[in-house]
Amino acid sequence: MRFDVIVVGAGHAGVEAAYAAARLGCSVGLCTLSRETVAHMPCNPAVGGTAKGHLVREIDALGGLMGRAIDATGIQFKLLNRSRGPAVWSPRAQADKQRYALWVTEALEREPNISWIFGRAGRIEVEHQRVVALAMEDGDRHECRALVITTGTFLNGLIHIGSEQQPAGRHGEPPSREMAISIRSFGFEMGRLKTGTPPRLHRDSIDFQRAASDGVFVEEPGDEQPVPFSFSTRAALRNQVRCWLLHTNDAVRDLVRGNIGSSPLYNGQIQGIGPRYCPSLEDKIMRFPDRERHQIYLEPEGLDVDDIYVNGFSMSLPREVQEKLVHALPGLESASILRPGYAVEYDFVQPTGLRSTLETHRVGRLFFAGQMNGTSGYEEAAAQGLMAGINASRAARGDGPFTLGRAEAYIGILVDDLITRGCLEPYRMFTSRAEHRLLLRIDNADLRLTPAGRRLGLIDEESWARFEARRERHARNLDTLNRTLVRTSRGERVAASMLLRRPGERLESLMQRGEVALDVDGVTRDLDLASIANEVKYEGYLKQEAARAERMRRQERRRIPEGFAFAQVPGLSREVVHWLSQIRPETLGQASRIPGVTPAAVAVLGVYLDRPAVARRLDQP
Amino acid sequence: MFSTEDSIVAIATPPGRGGIGVVRISGASSLRIAAGILDHPEPLRPRHATYTRIRRNGAGPSDEVIATYFPGPRSYTGEFVVEISAHGSPVVLRGILDRAVAAGARLAEPGEFTLRAFLNGKRDLVQAEAVADLIDAATPLQARVAFDQLEGTLTAQIGEIDRQLFDLIARLEASLDFPDEGYHFVEPAEIVRRIGCVVQTLERLLASAPRGRLIREGATVVVAGRPNVGKSSIFNRLVGAERAIVTDVAGTTRDLIAERVDVEGLAVTMVDTAGCREAGDRVEREGVMRAARAREVADVLLVIIDGSVPLMSEDERLLAETAARPRVVVVNKVDLPPARDTNPSGSHGEPDTAHPTTLVRVSARTGAGFEHLRDAIVAGLTGRESLRDPAMISNARHIALLEQARASLVAARASSEAGEAPEEILLADLQAARARFDEVVGTRTSEDVLRHIFERFCIGK
Ligand SMILES: Nc1nc2c(ncn2[C@@H]2O[C@H](COP(=O)(O)OP(=O)(O)OP(=O)(O)O)[C@@H](O)[C@H]2O)c(=O)[nH]1
Ligand SMILES: [Mg+2]
Repeated sequence: MRFDVIVVGAGHAGVEAAYAAARLGCSVGLCTLSRETVAHMPCNPAVGGTAKGHLVREIDALGGLMGRAIDATGIQFKLLNRSRGPAVWSPRAQADKQRYALWVTEALEREPNISWIFGRAGRIEVEHQRVVALAMEDGDRHECRALVITTGTFLNGLIHIGSEQQPAGRHGEPPSREMAISIRSFGFEMGRLKTGTPPRLHRDSIDFQRAASDGVFVEEPGDEQPVPFSFSTRAALRNQVRCWLLHTNDAVRDLVRGNIGSSPLYNGQIQGIGPRYCPSLEDKIMRFPDRERHQIYLEPEGLDVDDIYVNGFSMSLPREVQEKLVHALPGLESASILRPGYAVEYDFVQPTGLRSTLETHRVGRLFFAGQMNGTSGYEEAAAQGLMAGINASRAARGDGPFTLGRAEAYIGILVDDLITRGCLEPYRMFTSRAEHRLLLRIDNADLRLTPAGRRLGLIDEESWARFEARRERHARNLDTLNRTLVRTSRGERVAASMLLRRPGERLESLMQRGEVALDVDGVTRDLDLASIANEVKYEGYLKQEAARAERMRRQERRRIPEGFAFAQVPGLSREVVHWLSQIRPETLGQASRIPGVTPAAVAVLGVYLDRPAVARRLDQP
Repeated sequence: MFSTEDSIVAIATPPGRGGIGVVRISGASSLRIAAGILDHPEPLRPRHATYTRIRRNGAGPSDEVIATYFPGPRSYTGEFVVEISAHGSPVVLRGILDRAVAAGARLAEPGEFTLRAFLNGKRDLVQAEAVADLIDAATPLQARVAFDQLEGTLTAQIGEIDRQLFDLIARLEASLDFPDEGYHFVEPAEIVRRIGCVVQTLERLLASAPRGRLIREGATVVVAGRPNVGKSSIFNRLVGAERAIVTDVAGTTRDLIAERVDVEGLAVTMVDTAGCREAGDRVEREGVMRAARAREVADVLLVIIDGSVPLMSEDERLLAETAARPRVVVVNKVDLPPARDTNPSGSHGEPDTAHPTTLVRVSARTGAGFEHLRDAIVAGLTGRESLRDPAMISNARHIALLEQARASLVAARASSEAGEAPEEILLADLQAARARFDEVVGTRTSEDVLRHIFERFCIGK
């Protein structure tokens, strides 16, 4: 077979990549072992959370799948940080993991451009430093113009439960062995990371009501009026399950301490580096001895399944210790374990070997996306998948790259962090990574990105018409606030927007008093109002932020020629030359964010680049 | 920091010297910036000295200057350069500097003109050795140290302030990024208190700025008084040379005479002036006008009175006019029998609490009282604080950055006190302050904030 784009892996990165490329008109081969693993959630059955929710909104604004999928199959919804400002509001939802996977599978099946390739991917075939085909382990061969690899944690994945170890593939076979060898053969820098997952419990073995009335479980309710992830969701969302909060106790602490020697994390069996922001139970107890107790959440994994996910309780201790630990938790004395928790070690490719399109420097038209680039989380994976899919399809047709800046989207920050800094631990998005956080809100993700999505060809007529209407409505509402005169407490008449800038004045109360009438939509009412109020109230801050972003963009526009020899620049230290040559920044801005590259070095480089001889090279296509 | 994108400005001549001082602007928009400062309708002609004036700023006097435009690459730095030569008074030059910054220039880092010259191939290796340290420096902090010993202490001070701020920021960021951790990373009252602490420390540091600048840039002391009271005689004694003509003819001194002297370690530009009076020919009238202008820019005025004759109306007018300025009233000719009722203090001008008048009695003829006069000058310049303390902050660029940081912090404190602004707005102000510190000291990334959070708190959902 012959495809424009082949995507290997149908996890959260792979499905977005395949979908985007297909929507852009490419013939796509989606290679996966079986339909069962499509959009699988092997860990936490949830989408969103701080900064991750932003990523999902952005994916949606660019026509991706994740937002619609979670709105359609979420079973409990919550807007985090609601008591704070709209810039850090972030949606999170519990997913029905089976229905989520099914929804995505069906969405892909509706795309006529996507063909499934079932089987194990083998070797990447390259001619003249460019991908030409994918060879399958079973001997099949598929030609392609661009190849996106999204194999997640499957590169030399190794699962640890106590002293038990098993390869993290299907049926106990080593996963993607040939693929791992093939990737290595190009000389990419690889590293080893670790992540973990908690035990799953049977829901019928837990008496939630009793534990709640005993006061050991506290219900964590969803929002009364859930805010959707997708800009296209019109129907109201419903919470269909209950989640519960409980706490660890002294018995848990003593059990962990007593058995720490049998934890692969602490006895040297595991070498990979785990995420600090998501420590295992072992780390929580050993590294923070002063903390009396830790929070644990019980989260159902779906409506039709019995699994309860024990959030905050990930571990790699032996099965029998896990049993004791679960039973030591209040309210779980007789809970039965469906599957034990485990740690998984896997290879990742240092993403500093990638361009801002996620294409590799070493092999043309070969793209890497998702967890294999060192990130954690479905949302980070999906965001990369989308960008890789877009750029693979553009590369397949000889179109130029599509990238997003740090001031435009969290997706831009994600990619930029990965390619300039690399990963020392699994990378997770945080709002504190965004230097222009005030500009990157969930309420304006569509205003920021949908026009770009439309230009690419990812936004269909219907969605575009809806977007245009919403953009007009937003502008009209701002205009109304500027033109409507309202009375202050002292009786003066001022524009509503002026009044709103005063401390303590709220848009909602102005509307309740009937002083201003705005045109806002049902489901997204809260968000629309917040976004308007925010834009008016903090106009000064937003303007400052926008000015700073513009200054930064100037640096981003200063390009470094492809294959530039950094060693030729006089005045750069050897260490700086080393890092620059390794990471190969495409712009002066990227260069300035590489650890070890000093501001003085950036100045030296900048001036050198401005020399007529170098500048001429840049003008050539 | 050392980006070559923007246009930079600095005083290019050694600090404090009289005569002529040069302000240099370099960068792509130097011509536009110059157009914003100069009162000159036509564009400057390349490599021509253009006689013009600084554009008037309100009612203040506008200085005459010579402006020269050097298009790149045939300039000192290799970039577009405008040099403005003005009267050498630091006050005049500082004024031009401020105007250039207002028009979009950035205050240059130490050595930055030379750095740019080197980068553009305008300097050879030997000349560039002075900046080699800087280019090799691994961190901006090292660069700073390489350039200025004095700033080693400053870096430490700012580093300390930054650390306090950094911890607060990390806590606030943690509460935004980990909302369901069940931690109270920091209580609202604690936020106000902590910002208050940072503001206080910063203000203490900024309070040292005038003294620091004084040491770095020097000061101007203007000798004033009506004709024949002995201004030139006193001036000559202070500068230690017969620099100004002394005669018993009233109206001997016509023009400004400036001389740089060391007064107790301070670089002081002494300026002798024409005696103020209504009468006189055109030359003297011009001299009297110049004297008036010089008085306006003085850091300290010496108001001279002839103690051997009764106070005259010109004396009284001058005493009243200068009452609100930092000044020393000098009663001269104490070797002669005193006239009665010549005690000027108390009866003339409102006593000003910010600048209490010091009265010193001297004789320019015998030299009596000059030690007291020197002390009084130093006290007038430093606000009576000892100069033995290290001057913590002396660089105009640092002062400007720290002032900006303080403004952001004060805004943050106000909004957290009001309990009005959400955390991310508060953080926008705090981050803005930190960005200013970073510009002075060095850089830390958001990665460091996260590291700080994970070190301290068990984040785990
Ligand atoms: N006895 C005595 N005579 C002094 C003293 N200081 C200055 N004179 C005399 O006063 C006269 C004027 O001195 P100048 O120093 O020229 O006075 P001025 O204030 O500079 O005068 P103009 O330049 O005309 O404004 C000269 O004859 C000096 O010799 C002093 O301390 N004692
Ligand atoms: Mg004289």
